[in-house]
Amino acid sequence: VKREDFKTCAQSGFCTRNRAYAELAKETPQWISPFQLNPSSLRLQGGILTGDLINIEEDKQPSSKSGLAFELHLLDNDSVRVRINERDPIHPRYDGVKDTVLIKPYGMANENSYQKLAKDDSGVLTIQYGNKNQNTIKVNSAPFKIEFLVNGVSTVVLNDEGLLKFERLRKKQEEAAQEKEIVDEDKLVDQGDENKDDEVKIEKSELETKLEANMWEEKFKEYTDSKPRGPESFGMDITFSGIDHVYGIPQHASSLSLKATKGTDAPYNEPYRLYNLDVFEYEVDNPMALYGSIPFMLGHSKNNTAAVFWMNAAETWIDVEKSPEDKTGGILSWIKTKKPVSAPSTKTHWISEAGVLDLFVFLGPTHRDIFRQYTSLVGTTALPQAFSIAYHQCRWNYNTQQDVAEVDAGFDEHDIPYDVLWLDIEHTNGKRYFTWDHAKFPDPMDMQRALGAKGRKMVTIIDPHIKKDNDYYVSKEGAELDVYIKNKDGNSDFDGWCWPGSSQWIDFYNPKARDWWASQFSYDRYVGSTNTLFTWNDMNEPSVFSGPEITIPKDVIHYGNMEHRNVHNLYGTMFHSATAQGLTQRNETNQRPFVLSRAFFAGTQRFGAIWTGDNLATWEHLEVASPMLLTIGLAGIPFSGADVGGFFGNPEPELLTRWYQAGIYYPFFRAHAHLDSKRREPWLFGEPYTTQMREAIRTRYSFLPFWYTLFQESSVDGMPIIRPMFVEFPEDEAVFGMDDQYMVGNALLVKPVSKPGVTRSTVYFAGTEKWFGIKDYSVEQGPGAKEVASPADKIPVYQRAGTIVPKRERPRRSSKAMENDPFTLVIALDSNGEATGRIYLDDGESFDYQTGDYILREFKVADKVLTSRNLKPADAGETSEFVKRAGALRIERLVVLGSTVPLKEVTVDGRAVQVECSQAPTDGSYVCTVKEPKVLIGEDFSIAFA
Amino acid sequence: QTNDRNSLRGVSPSNAKLYVPNASNHWTCLNGSKTIPFSAINDDYCDCADGSDEPGHIATDIKSSRVNDGVCDPECCDGSDEFDGRIHCPNVCDEVGVEARKEQERVRRIQEEGSRLRKGYIQHGKTTKLKLQQELEILKAKTDQVKAAAVDAKENLDKITEEYEAFLESSKKDREAEREAQLQPFIQEQIKRLNRAKETKGHLHRTLQDLRENHNKNYHDMAVKEMVSEYDDYVTSLGDSHTVFELLTPTDGSHQSEPGNSADTLLDRLIEDTAIIQREITSLHDILMGLRHEYNTEYNDEAVLEAVKVAVEFDSQWNTERQEFNDELPLDVPEADADKVPESGAIKNESDMAQAEFDRATDEEVKVQNTIKDIERKLNIDFSLDETFAELLDQCFDFKDADKFSNWEGDNYSVQKYTGGSKCWNGPERSVRLEMTCGAKNEILSVTEPEKCEYHFKMQTPAVCPVLPDSESGNDGNGAGNVPQSVAYSEERKDEVKRHDEL
Repeated sequence: VKREDFKTCAQSGFCTRNRAYAELAKETPQWISPFQLNPSSLRLQGGILTGDLINIEEDKQPSSKSGLAFELHLLDNDSVRVRINERDPIHPRYDGVKDTVLIKPYGMANENSYQKLAKDDSGVLTIQYGNKNQNTIKVNSAPFKIEFLVNGVSTVVLNDEGLLKFERLRKKQEEAAQEKEIVDEDKLVDQGDENKDDEVKIEKSELETKLEANMWEEKFKEYTDSKPRGPESFGMDITFSGIDHVYGIPQHASSLSLKATKGTDAPYNEPYRLYNLDVFEYEVDNPMALYGSIPFMLGHSKNNTAAVFWMNAAETWIDVEKSPEDKTGGILSWIKTKKPVSAPSTKTHWISEAGVLDLFVFLGPTHRDIFRQYTSLVGTTALPQAFSIAYHQCRWNYNTQQDVAEVDAGFDEHDIPYDVLWLDIEHTNGKRYFTWDHAKFPDPMDMQRALGAKGRKMVTIIDPHIKKDNDYYVSKEGAELDVYIKNKDGNSDFDGWCWPGSSQWIDFYNPKARDWWASQFSYDRYVGSTNTLFTWNDMNEPSVFSGPEITIPKDVIHYGNMEHRNVHNLYGTMFHSATAQGLTQRNETNQRPFVLSRAFFAGTQRFGAIWTGDNLATWEHLEVASPMLLTIGLAGIPFSGADVGGFFGNPEPELLTRWYQAGIYYPFFRAHAHLDSKRREPWLFGEPYTTQMREAIRTRYSFLPFWYTLFQESSVDGMPIIRPMFVEFPEDEAVFGMDDQYMVGNALLVKPVSKPGVTRSTVYFAGTEKWFGIKDYSVEQGPGAKEVASPADKIPVYQRAGTIVPKRERPRRSSKAMENDPFTLVIALDSNGEATGRIYLDDGESFDYQTGDYILREFKVADKVLTSRNLKPADAGETSEFVKRAGALRIERLVVLGSTVPLKEVTVDGRAVQVECSQAPTDGSYVCTVKEPKVLIGEDFSIAFA
Repeated sequence: QTNDRNSLRGVSPSNAKLYVPNASNHWTCLNGSKTIPFSAINDDYCDCADGSDEPGHIATDIKSSRVNDGVCDPECCDGSDEFDGRIHCPNVCDEVGVEARKEQERVRRIQEEGSRLRKGYIQHGKTTKLKLQQELEILKAKTDQVKAAAVDAKENLDKITEEYEAFLESSKKDREAEREAQLQPFIQEQIKRLNRAKETKGHLHRTLQDLRENHNKNYHDMAVKEMVSEYDDYVTSLGDSHTVFELLTPTDGSHQSEPGNSADTLLDRLIEDTAIIQREITSLHDILMGLRHEYNTEYNDEAVLEAVKVAVEFDSQWNTERQEFNDELPLDVPEADADKVPESGAIKNESDMAQAEFDRATDEEVKVQNTIKDIERKLNIDFSLDETFAELLDQCFDFKDADKFSNWEGDNYSVQKYTGGSKCWNGPERSVRLEMTCGAKNEILSVTEPEKCEYHFKMQTPAVCPVLPDSESGNDGNGAGNVPQSVAYSEERKDEVKRHDEL
């Protein structure tokens, strides 16, 4: 990476000012936040607490109209929203993020579900609240501070350290500044600050200079940010008390458990940055901003789990500081509750450039609750098309139609399944999206039909930069409709450099632009497209080669005279959603869209998948993919992947093979490669690699019923699909910092191999139950770390005792071709001889599941009987053709693991079924295979084991 | 209940005897691994480790992954690959058959013609080989003789040279000292010029190297990419022996005045070195000028701006037409005074003649050696087992990129690899994989670049056609593509005999 192309906090005015404020607080003995709530202004009504928030250093009158408006909303799902905005600004601050990020008006807490307790001696207003009345909110007026307690345990404290800072909009004192300039030409730096009194002419300290850095104009390299509205940033600290692991705020190429950016021995000396950027050859172990941003952070300890969502789409920086023990006395002494003095806590400092302070606190109390609370606001993942969770084959570029045919034939020849073949930018006529290079692709529809005959699809790339070219219909129409982002003057179209050369960027904040864009995807507009063609949105940070930090300047103007700086991190998502809308609308056949995006924000999950961007073909990048994907997943986007093989460079065959073995456990599973890299389709390296890669990909296909069921679960309750160990084992402190192994759903434990030449790996087996190797059924007993074999042909993957995993074990050339195949259930019994699991099935393509056209069943073993039970509500909908056809597919095999005795008799309604048992390789338990129990996937049954 | 029909699906009649139940109506997997009920055959569940209990699913014509997968596979024209009732695959064997026979006929004709031509190649190859072997023997016999002649000539030359040098030695020192004094100012001036050129060349190299390393790759400025590519190509073309900065340490001329070298030699070398470096400067200058005129002025890439600045500065002092610095004209070096070289008369003549004789003898020796080497090289080339490809040696089919034949890929002499072509920017050395199929002419069919600078050629040539027996003109051609080698050889011998008859 060229680090100097990207800003550090010190090169960013607002970050510098807010960080300096934190420094000032630290250096000042007995620092007390100047912010106070006017006690007489506080009202609690309809679940909303409102009041006047003043800064005693700025607002001379306690009830000053120039103060800030404070709001606290009690939501009906055990979460709380806190908003701080200017009460009477000179012009409105941007407050539109909520309109695009929140999916619907949320429910307020019922009047009966909370009680306001009398203020105590120290002026603390206490609200007791929650579905089980378990939450306590303590609002302290002077200084302003809010503490959240769950079951009496402190979890989240806002403005704990008193770092709240709120820059109010102001007029630039140009005339005053000019006069001053004449008097003292040297002191140019100071001209903007209206609070500076004329008599203060003493030399400023370094800290004072930082506190007023770059308020009105800011230069970076050769770029100038004009900042016409001046300083409008704000920041606040949030303490996760009693918690020393915090997670989230993707996207960074870093560990799952966030590292300290401040304090002694902090691994990072820069805050984590959220600012969507196209970073060439990004580095691992670094808090630098990348392609996507989600200001969601979750804290977890053995006793305590909570999360915050800082709903802001402007550039944001977050400092993390770990304190092994709380300060005693000082400003914390106002809290009269007995807080364990030695509890570790994590202090975070959030700094945003513009907008309003608007955050949610999710009080759980469990992870599952938090994911449900968060996604009930920003949305759960859209249920993907079934093909899109199978294997994707991509390269920049498959050059010609003939090339496509040959790669397709290569998969058939080597009997390796794949579902989607991708075309990168070179397929277009001169990077004009929606067009084809006809010399190379003479008949795109025929090409798609040929692949479609085998159940396969194609994806083409469509980027948000539009080549400036009057002979290009998209460019011309865009100009006519006036839908491009404007320069800072608000009139002329912004013009920058990207793949096609001089280009313009569509303003997706313009409703007209969104509809027009969506209409481009209809078959008659996008010539050469068919219903097996889907879309890839790249470069949507947006990437602008000629812009500051390779993106668009912050002062360009969107629809409604809105500055880009307010919504930078949402731009890519607006594009993504308009594209998804286009694919949904393009036909009457009721087909779900599939759109991959590189940029993302909270809520992206509603529109499609994302990937971690342009990684490198190195072992380090393979290793960092796991924590990156886990982090993105817990921040609400389960459908994500990293480019298998690494985008830049040439992976040696061992790395590529190991990457396939890991990649089959990414929710989005795609291989991709740079234009300058060597070909690396899975059969090009010869044996043993071809066999190893084929085996890995086939393993992914065999687990597709399980993956699809997990996607459905996530689409309902927001659970991540791949999960950090701590999500499944919240009590086990040994796993809180663990990110080199993870869970797929609740059932599979995956340990990627990310070092060369490794044949053994240490796996941590959490919990007190057994684990079963998915290939050889070897048995391991938790809890504890153990070294196990990880030879070249496999990585350690184990099924957890107590789970049932549905599979389809016949190798096919595509997932579509598996539709009528029978199922296998792998049943891993726990120490009580019990296990549960589910299956979800639908047509994999349409929206009919929304009207009940699906199968959802639970499998359960208890008291030596396996039963299948319908989980679909009786009123879910009519029984359709699909349910009849798919429901009649049979379960051809049961594999029962963990039985202490061999199964002798297996009967279905008194009918004996063939069973064979053998002893598991590593302990005395038995692996039993039940052949053809003659039961159907869609119907109730019970099978007795004896 | 029996399912004879079912159990025999996918079993060829010749193997039917393997699928018979035993007395207890059981059956043993073909690899002997397991005994299962006979009814478990073709019950759509894999019992045997080798899959032999599911002949209807693990078919031989198509992969088992394609049985009942909802796709009508063309390999099973009768639709028998889809029998679970989910889709109906029509029986299209008649149509497929007509097409297949047409295709077979077409292939047969090509193969017939190809075979005829290939036999010619083989004949040519063998004749050529024989001729070369004979020639080689003759030349080898001659080797000793020419060697001896060369040694004699050398002895004679040495002797005469010694005499001649002794004669010259007497007056040499004075002449040289005088000449050196005369040339000294010119040498000094040329050293200055050489150093200046070296310094300039180094400066340009460093500028371009900095550009290559430090330019902002995010900008994807095609002009910059092209310059870097040209620079890389240029550096690569200098070759391994000549590293960029090797010759760039300033010289004072002293290391070139080795004993025995005259002032003239030194000056000549200085002038020559300067000219070489100035030619390199010209190349670098061209690259920089391209950048100066083409770079995208919308970006402010420091590395690019720096390079452009250097280009502008340099341009003011460089005369593009004459490829030299503006204030630099060739030195007017006085001729050495021929009068002062002592006339040597007879001994000079004798020396010249000895030299000529030596040259002639050595030439002869080298010529014989080289011819032997060339023949041995040709004899060592793998023209496939029957020498077919000798016909195509040194023939060019419009793909004469600088690549060198590297090796055959695989065992059947139908894929050639060419490697070691010129290096690509940001990529490998150019290489070609040439895949040949049977055809009646030598012709390149397609050229693709599946990845950067690695080309894939398809070519048709009689050289890989099967060698058909001559009498088989009315044959159905079936299996002609797989003529076993032994048969092919015997046919070929027959062919050889016939050709001899015709001669």
